[in-house]
Amino acid sequence: MIAQDISVVLPELVLAIYAMAALMWGVFMGQDKQSDFILHLTAGLLILVGFWIGFSGEGTQTAFGESFVNDGFARFSKVMILWGSAVMLLLSREYLIRNHLMKFEFPVLVTLATLGMMMMVSAGDLMALYMGLELQSLSLYVVAAFRRDSLRSTEAGLKYFVLGALSSGLLLYGASLVYGYAGTTLFSGIASVVDAEGISLGLLFGLVFLCTGMAFKVSAAPFHMWTPDVYEGSPTPVTLFFATAPKVAAAGMFARVLFDGFGNAVADWQQILIFLSVLSMFLGSIAAIGQSNIKRLMAYSSIAHMGFALMGLAAGTEQGVQALLIYLAIYVTMNVGVFAFILNMEHDGRPVTDINALGMYSTSEPARALALAVLMFSLAGIPPLVGFFGKFYVLKAAVDAGLVWFAVAGVIASVIGAFYYLRIIYLMYFGTASDVLNGRMPLLHYTMLMASALIMVVGIVNLLGIEGLAAQAAATLVN
Amino acid sequence: MRFLPALLAFMATAWFWSFLPAISAGETRSWAWAWLPDQGVELALRIDGLSLLFALLITGIGTLIFLYTAAYFRNDDRLPRLLTLLMLFGISMLGLVLADDAISLFVFWEGTTVTSFLLVGFDHNRRYARASALQALIITGLGGLALLAGLIILGQFAGTYRLSEMVLMGDAIRASEIYIAATIFVLLGCFTKSAQFPFHFWLPGAMAAPTPVSAYLHSATMVKAGVYLLMRMSPALGGTEIWMWSLTICGAITMIVGSVWAMKQDDLKLMLAHTTLMGLGALVMLLGSGTKEAAKAAVLFLLVHALYKAALFLSVGILDKQAGSRMVDDLGGLRGAMPLSFAIAALAALSMAGFPPFIGFIGKEVIYESALHSAASPLLVTGSALAANIMMVACAGLVAIKPYFGERRAQKNPGDPVFGLWFGPAVLAALGLWFGLFPAALGHDLLEPALGAVTGKAAEVKLYLWHGVNLPFLLSLLTFAAGIGLFLVIGAVRRALQAARVPGAEDGYDLGLAGIDRLSAWVTRSLQGGRMTVYLKLSFAVFAGVIWMAILMSNTELSRPDFRVPLFQFGVVVLILVSTVVVTFTPSRLIAICALGGVGSGIAMLFVMYGAIDVAMTQLLVEILVVVFFAIALLQLPRTPISLGFRPFDMALSVALGLGVIVTLWAVLGTELNLYLTEYFEKYSAPKALGRNIVNVILVDFRALDTLGEVSVVLIAAIAAVAVMRAGREARK
Repeated sequence: MIAQDISVVLPELVLAIYAMAALMWGVFMGQDKQSDFILHLTAGLLILVGFWIGFSGEGTQTAFGESFVNDGFARFSKVMILWGSAVMLLLSREYLIRNHLMKFEFPVLVTLATLGMMMMVSAGDLMALYMGLELQSLSLYVVAAFRRDSLRSTEAGLKYFVLGALSSGLLLYGASLVYGYAGTTLFSGIASVVDAEGISLGLLFGLVFLCTGMAFKVSAAPFHMWTPDVYEGSPTPVTLFFATAPKVAAAGMFARVLFDGFGNAVADWQQILIFLSVLSMFLGSIAAIGQSNIKRLMAYSSIAHMGFALMGLAAGTEQGVQALLIYLAIYVTMNVGVFAFILNMEHDGRPVTDINALGMYSTSEPARALALAVLMFSLAGIPPLVGFFGKFYVLKAAVDAGLVWFAVAGVIASVIGAFYYLRIIYLMYFGTASDVLNGRMPLLHYTMLMASALIMVVGIVNLLGIEGLAAQAAATLVN
Repeated sequence: MRFLPALLAFMATAWFWSFLPAISAGETRSWAWAWLPDQGVELALRIDGLSLLFALLITGIGTLIFLYTAAYFRNDDRLPRLLTLLMLFGISMLGLVLADDAISLFVFWEGTTVTSFLLVGFDHNRRYARASALQALIITGLGGLALLAGLIILGQFAGTYRLSEMVLMGDAIRASEIYIAATIFVLLGCFTKSAQFPFHFWLPGAMAAPTPVSAYLHSATMVKAGVYLLMRMSPALGGTEIWMWSLTICGAITMIVGSVWAMKQDDLKLMLAHTTLMGLGALVMLLGSGTKEAAKAAVLFLLVHALYKAALFLSVGILDKQAGSRMVDDLGGLRGAMPLSFAIAALAALSMAGFPPFIGFIGKEVIYESALHSAASPLLVTGSALAANIMMVACAGLVAIKPYFGERRAQKNPGDPVFGLWFGPAVLAALGLWFGLFPAALGHDLLEPALGAVTGKAAEVKLYLWHGVNLPFLLSLLTFAAGIGLFLVIGAVRRALQAARVPGAEDGYDLGLAGIDRLSAWVTRSLQGGRMTVYLKLSFAVFAGVIWMAILMSNTELSRPDFRVPLFQFGVVVLILVSTVVVTFTPSRLIAICALGGVGSGIAMLFVMYGAIDVAMTQLLVEILVVVFFAIALLQLPRTPISLGFRPFDMALSVALGLGVIVTLWAVLGTELNLYLTEYFEKYSAPKALGRNIVNVILVDFRALDTLGEVSVVLIAAIAAVAVMRAGREARK
């Protein structure tokens, strides 16, 4: 039994052992001399584990009495998480060195956070879920405040911690109510209770609390308050991290709980999700218009995008989950490109976050400006770029689920949202030049920016085959 | 190199031309590639009569315009960029008219939106160009999304995204309940794109683009996309009251507004941009009429308008280039210096004014003919067509007569332009004459198949230059007389118009944009000030709201509370209450924390009374530790008293949240708890683990491994704490 269980969690186990070994190695080999090496080693390992999971066959395996599930949905999400984290690590190197933050704890913390995220999307049980969630959250609190000498960074970490703890508390309270009234913490057990007896009052309140707690984690409005401050205050690579892998993990966890645990009570949670989704889309879109700090802008952008992702979830169908996965994959790809650029926004060696510095960027760096413009068009969801297809999938899922007005609200929100992405393009091509960015861009960052933009263009040919993979993944979750 | 785009466009024209025999024989050609197979989306292209007409206009006029552009920007290093954008735009436009899949169509549709945004804002140093580009993008982009919604609704209903299959289901669609919604969304898309009232205001601004671009955008492409889609969808959506009246009324208003505004413009290019509104309005109005005659008039006028409008834009470009200005009042008497340019402008303008023997004349006759038999309101349609045409005659005079006759005025020494500049407009203007003289082949080969696609059934188009003396002809004569009369007094009319200031839809647009900015500022200022207390308050407020929503929506039933409990239990409750009051009202942080400890101890006592001594112990220990930790932390903080103001919002929030949790617990406790685990442990704790204290048995027996893990964690944490403390002490040394 144990051997079989372990074989299922082997990738996670490898990462856990690696994280501890790397920590020891860093400590015993004299602090930060090994940081660069550990960082690359970690990134390499994450990529490899991603391949390992991606190609590790099909079917659904469970471990430890179903509290850990390895199915298509988990594998799809994990590959996104692992590669997102690895790319973030590779991109972070220059920034860390420049700002004297190259410490060996950074890759280790990222590994632990990644491990937590993998457990979140693989959880088959409320306890396993909470364990993964806290492993991820605790690591993220620390990396948010990684720039200890910066007031903003520490403030970001603290705010994130306090609000995160509050949300964890709500989640736990919900979990205990669910446990009390379902008699089990296993998702499959909860599902069979819901199946047999319907949703009792206790379960309903438990579900409400669970959703509230998870809404914090996906930074859905109105529980988004931490996002702009944390995005702005954190070191930029960490902001990139927040914008990618943890978003996938949180949304994946949300989908797990709702479909595995409460899959037969769609009507009971659909309204909550519609509420969260609509509010996030509108709040994110409207608030972003007033931002001139690009990190804050991307924070609101991520809130709006999570609103769209939740729209797929709110559809409550297999098609909706497929849309969610595709949306997330596209969103992560776009963000990697955009942040590869933001990481290098500098004027005479000073980091710049004001978007007005992009004025007439197209004349000084036409290639980069074009790539960024493509990404912005894609983020805005303007066809024919790939970003449009992400939106198209979720909107279609919502319409197919009979939620026409919900989809219309989404369309309106995306129109408002397009406004601020277009403003960046507008600045780059039609703006006025002042304090022009003149930072050097490392080859890797340049490649990432270009590759990401290229995918947005080339991907319009059958989305690079992701559609089928996402469909298989969604089929394992919804049945 | 700079002639490459023109060459490519020419080859495309030739290629499309090669389909003409087959298509005019009633055949169609189609291609399809899978795109998003799961969603039933494919890249499907199809050539029928309507697509072919548009494709020929796009590539044919495109060829001439690319040629003109190469000459116009001859010594400008922005030429490659401009040509690239124009090509991209042309390709999107072609895709749009060829697409047979609704989603492909939408993708190309937005492609034209984006590329036209970049084209309109090409002169980015001018504020006006930037603002116009953004305005065009916002309006057409918004409409595009509405269109997407409409197409998806239609696709859902029809079960297919093939337009060619959708249009066959017209009767079913019109009878269904989705008809109204789908029509409104599709019309929103078409009206914004083709600048119909009340979205017409973006179009004149879009002429901020370089002249060749305006010529392309305003004649055959961009703005015709909406008209194309109206034509394409009319077998599926047309023929109802809502379709008829919305098209007729919006079209008529656009036509009149465009014509009137055109007359008052100083800038010839701006004037032409406004006459484009007239052309588009006329097309939309005709499509609303619903008769076959009207559809025929629309198809013909589409071609007529494209020919003369492109030629006139280009000839204004020549004036701008050669004479240094395109202002009405800056130009005059140029016909001697620029005879060729004058000839071109005159030919095109005659077609625009609708004089025989130009194709414009036939177009106007056919329009009057169909207007008199309009299914909507013959009086309204004929009247507005007549009024607009009279004004068109005056505008034609302004473009073709005013700059070339009278006193000689110019900004620089004028002369006829180079070949590349005059060739394009000359061909277009000459075609207007050629088609006018020999309309029969045009009608049969090109317009008949197009009309078939618009009306949904085979149709015959017979065009004659001479209709005989009938009512349309008399109307034509009236048009000429009144138009010439209007031109003679045009100076006074223009002064009167320029003096008037009428608020328009554009003001609404400006207000809307400013409003969004203000809303955004308000949202961020009020919700996102960066203060932790505000965030927490908001989180709790939302949470309280969610709880109360759940309570109210789930028909919660509350059981009767039982107050028959021993007196000393009330004592504990009193302790908790008193502590709470102290926490709320004390100005000292230390006392507040101690009082919080009191609340915790009270709860621990409640645990004792209900027999859970071990839980009570834990609670008490945690409570004591918390108080101690807080007290230590307080030592490090500056000693400022808590300010005790009356904060009604906080109070209401606390009450709402507290009551919410109480009601939740109360209601939940009234329902049945799942006792499976309780019963299991009660049953097996003695026989299996030889213990009566269930909690102990669980800790040390049933879940012993967990306990071991916990103990190990505590141990490791302790070791780590010791290490950290020692490290700190060494550092201090």
